Amino acid sequence: MTSLEQLQKDFVEMLSQDSTRFETHIAAQSGLAPSQRAEIYQNAYRIRLTKVLEQDHEMLGLYLGDDLFEEMVNGYLATYPSCAPSLREFGDRLPHFLSSHDPFKEHGILQEIALFERLLLRAFDAADSDILQFSQLQNIPQASWPNIQFQLHASVQLLTCQYSAVESWQALKSEQPPPSPEIPTERHWIIAREQDKRTGFYALSRCHYECLKSIQSELPFGFVCETAAHHTESEEQGMMQVMELLQKGTELGWFQSDINLLQA
Amino acid sequence: MSNTPHPYIGFGLGLRTCYFEEILATQPNVDWFEIISENYFVDGGKPWHFLDQIKEQYPIVMHGVSMSIGSTSDINFDYLDNLKKTIDRVQPLWISDHLCFSSLGDFNSHDLLPMPYTEEALNHLAQRLNIVQDYLQRPLILENVSSYLTYQASQMSEWEFLSELHSKTDCRYLLDINNIYVSARNHEFEPETFLDAIPQKAIAQIHLAGHSDFGSHIIDTHDQPICDHVWRLFENFAKTRGPINTMIERDDNFPPFSELMAELDHARAIAPATWSTHDFA
Repeated sequence: MTSLEQLQKDFVEMLSQDSTRFETHIAAQSGLAPSQRAEIYQNAYRIRLTKVLEQDHEMLGLYLGDDLFEEMVNGYLATYPSCAPSLREFGDRLPHFLSSHDPFKEHGILQEIALFERLLLRAFDAADSDILQFSQLQNIPQASWPNIQFQLHASVQLLTCQYSAVESWQALKSEQPPPSPEIPTERHWIIAREQDKRTGFYALSRCHYECLKSIQSELPFGFVCETAAHHTESEEQGMMQVMELLQKGTELGWFQSDINLLQA
Repeated sequence: MSNTPHPYIGFGLGLRTCYFEEILATQPNVDWFEIISENYFVDGGKPWHFLDQIKEQYPIVMHGVSMSIGSTSDINFDYLDNLKKTIDRVQPLWISDHLCFSSLGDFNSHDLLPMPYTEEALNHLAQRLNIVQDYLQRPLILENVSSYLTYQASQMSEWEFLSELHSKTDCRYLLDINNIYVSARNHEFEPETFLDAIPQKAIAQIHLAGHSDFGSHIIDTHDQPICDHVWRLFENFAKTRGPINTMIERDDNFPPFSELMAELDHARAIAPATWSTHDFA
């Protein structure tokens, strides 16, 4: 190992593991002691990454309160030191951390709030593309409909919650107390960038959620309709649900303009 | 990679998201904007929506924070591919990053960690700079970083190191006068000594920024107005030099846009008259 490699290794271990060996590389100067000079870098590292989690997970921070949020940050930093060049990705493993570490894993809503906030971020800067227009739907020949393959816009994120994560996020955002975490049945959500580039989210019925999952899995429209029928009482009702979804999704920009006609 | 001189385009501002809409609405008298390269390593959404409009109206330069050119780990070609993709889309007049290391192996500090000023580090940087510039097919300007420590191993001063690296590679620098002031206070040297040692042909750009003064030391926060000491350093330095692209850099604690414009206008006012002659060639 060259001396430059050793110095950099010791520097990084000082930041990530609180190793003190790095201090031997620091020249004595008037003013601050070597340990204080090293500490400036340690503090900067911790403050910078804490700030990223605070910014990316503002409502999770409010839900947890200062002490638990700090405990979470310390645990997360120790478990998952940043390895990507972009700070944008630093918190990607936070939902997993919360679902697998005490005391957070006992409260499933925490992982869900964190995941919801990650999906908001993902939708924010997903790829742009032209969105589906009603005129395109009108131009599809009737016989082609079963083999049409729609595509979700890249910003679309689908989420299922076992807890009141999104409702709690909304309440905290409005400076209201969050509701009870328990909900009677699971809830489904779509997160997507709107045409003014703001990120929006909407509650979905189970039927619409499953239809969107089918589209996400690149299934043709005929299969999407079958999925809808499976979650309603008849084919007719299923078809009505699909048409309602297509209309809402087209209005809100959930589908790309590129539609494929699969070979029958 | 031959380093052709960068054009003189005047006085610029760091482009930050909170100012996007005001810039488009008011079209301020700014000669150019500098973006943080990594902020555009995304596929779409608001960042590109606004940048695509702003770059229609203003020249853009790119400034990176994560290349880690001084690292002893392998060069991150995935990072360089992302940078290349962004360069292709932005078409900046030039690109820059920092003379430092920030990552090692899988670990990324997201900080600008200083290099030791040794022959070994010089050779290492010279070699890496050549590889990066060849890969990107364009010169890379390097910025001096603020530092809070001096290494036992250092064999020369920071300004001697920069001059040596320039002699070896013909590289050019983005001199951050605030960073020089911060390091000068933290290491008790005269900032003028640093500035005087860098030849004109080695300077492509200047940053002016603020810091937080804790008495015993200064932390480079880039979140405060530019202090009088830094203004004086800039003014005296500019008197002795031909025109150098100069930029106000604010990274946090963002004030109303008018305050940054006032700083930009102050920089224009105290720079020599010759600096106001633009050459957009």
